[in-house]
Amino acid sequence: MDCHNQGPEVEVGRDTLKFLLMGNPNVGKSVVFSKLTGVQVLAANYTGTTVGYTKGKVGNFNRDAVLIDVPGTYSLEATSEAEEVAIRFVEEGADAILCVLDATNLERNLNFAFQLKKYDLPMIYILNLIDVAENQGIQIDVEALAEELNAPVIPTVAVRNIGIRDVLQEMKSVEKRDEDREVVPEDTPWDDEEFRWAEIGKIIGKVQKIDDREPSFIEKLGYRTMEPWPGIPIALLILALSLGLVIGGGKAIRGALLLPVLDNFYVPFMTGLVGNYIAEGSTLFNVLVGDYGVLIKAIEWPFFLILPYVSLFYIVLSILEDSGYLPRIGVLLDGILRKIGVQGGSIVPFIMGYGCAIPAILGSKAATTHKERVIISSLVSLAVPCTAQTAAFFVLLGDRSIFLPIALYGISLVAIVIGGMVLNRLIPGKVDPMLLEIPNLLKPDWKTILKKIRIRVKQFMVEAEIPMVFGILFAAIVAETGFIFVITDFLSPLITGWLGLPQEAGLALMLGVVRRELAVLPLIEMDLTTLQVFVGAVVALFYLPCLSVLAILIKEFKLKTGLAIAASTIVAAFLIGGVINQIGTLFNAIF
Amino acid sequence: MSLYGISKNGTCTIATLPPVGLLKSLGLREGLQVMIRSKQPMGGPVIVQVGRRCVAIAEDIAKEIHVEEVN
Repeated sequence: MDCHNQGPEVEVGRDTLKFLLMGNPNVGKSVVFSKLTGVQVLAANYTGTTVGYTKGKVGNFNRDAVLIDVPGTYSLEATSEAEEVAIRFVEEGADAILCVLDATNLERNLNFAFQLKKYDLPMIYILNLIDVAENQGIQIDVEALAEELNAPVIPTVAVRNIGIRDVLQEMKSVEKRDEDREVVPEDTPWDDEEFRWAEIGKIIGKVQKIDDREPSFIEKLGYRTMEPWPGIPIALLILALSLGLVIGGGKAIRGALLLPVLDNFYVPFMTGLVGNYIAEGSTLFNVLVGDYGVLIKAIEWPFFLILPYVSLFYIVLSILEDSGYLPRIGVLLDGILRKIGVQGGSIVPFIMGYGCAIPAILGSKAATTHKERVIISSLVSLAVPCTAQTAAFFVLLGDRSIFLPIALYGISLVAIVIGGMVLNRLIPGKVDPMLLEIPNLLKPDWKTILKKIRIRVKQFMVEAEIPMVFGILFAAIVAETGFIFVITDFLSPLITGWLGLPQEAGLALMLGVVRRELAVLPLIEMDLTTLQVFVGAVVALFYLPCLSVLAILIKEFKLKTGLAIAASTIVAAFLIGGVINQIGTLFNAIF
Repeated sequence: MSLYGISKNGTCTIATLPPVGLLKSLGLREGLQVMIRSKQPMGGPVIVQVGRRCVAIAEDIAKEIHVEEVN
């Protein structure tokens, strides 16, 4: 049930041609990979999107061929996990390496390419992003470069499919290497840094011409968004616009389009249909179409309540990702983030957490120290609501007052800051200082964005719908039979006494284990005061981050750490929820 | 003089780099001329333009990069 994509397992037989796709981070390897294999991987405009590796069969090929998307690295010196993975792949051997070069940054990309020389494997160079380079006034003589590199160089604009066919053509002329697959690195003059840069300097002088032109509007914007002024106001504006689009848009779609369909057509239709066969008011009738009726809620909750917000959220996130804007927020926030044990470069996995915690936890692999990984993963699990839960909050709280969700997010932010400061002290070790390449701002390619949104919404529907149906069926049965009061009886001092919620709310806590939004949605159906609704939302926010996340936590950090993170989220949920209830009750009593 | 001491829009030539491998991989090397694009408050990073790319360098590292200012 992972919310992330890994390509299907591909067998590499003895006769299969094996290609490695390599290069610096953020040069478009994942896009090239998708185009050549048809395997859809989520790419973005910043470094380290691919932290694992993905394998795919090459499509439209005359024989069996497999392509491996190796994580991008700046060098091959085994100084990070990603570099170790990259070196291991080369040493396991391949029939050819497809080395992707960023045309807007040829010098540094060649520095990586020449480090591959010691492995003496056939090379095909893919000169990507030539459109952006041309816009920046960079001209590269492709033929001269191919001559210097003594290998084919193919100019491409991978996102727009330009040049991909030529890459395939070039791959078809690669011959199977007879000898053993294993590759032993040899000492070459290219190992020497001075020598490498001197050679690169000579080559650049021959093949590259740069027109000195006034920076374009988007380049200037790229620089200005990294300055405190006007960078911080711009960041706030983007945040406000994004929230407005998701909250306002979601509410509008729901109110104007979806609710009328639900209330005027779907519910009467289903109730009437079931009423034809089953006596109204019977337990079975209520399980099917009653308060938690599975035929109603299994459609209403995921599609009518959650989906509009989730789709809008992913539209905004995909645009922000592909524009290259997100790392700039990291630059602006680095000073503050360091105080909670996180450096600015890690802002991206953090923001991903507002979509789903799983890509956030996997993405935290890009963090350079274990300590920072644990901090990011714990904070995301504790206090960052996923997009589906956010949608449920907007419905539960936003329909009463716009200030309630704002207050909830305020509490979430405070918890992140305090939690981070505590973890930063508790966990031994250090957090590396920020050292990050900032991508150029790019105009997002709409086709790519649409595709990305489609993948993510589809993923959400598949992953949410099945657990949701089972959760709702369970809820309907225990609520309609009154069994809920038996199960939650022992929890009643906690639920009714400490949290001030009706005992029925125990249902939300049970369902919340399955999916985060299910800790919120049952509350919508109950007759609650504003204080009760808010306390319920706070408990749901901090509460255990769904089973899939727990599984990933245990897989990535071992059982002990995984369970410790989960247990502390539950304790925090009851502690903070209860305190808010007690203060609220006292406040109500006085005024 | 350290890289951190150069003010915004200032240009300098890198004299020595601390032993942080990633710096060289990001394209910084001795003798290279770079420009400071912006500096963040509260101990945040400096943004250095290397060639046509920007790199965010934390205060701690930037203070260990020795440079000569270019006027």
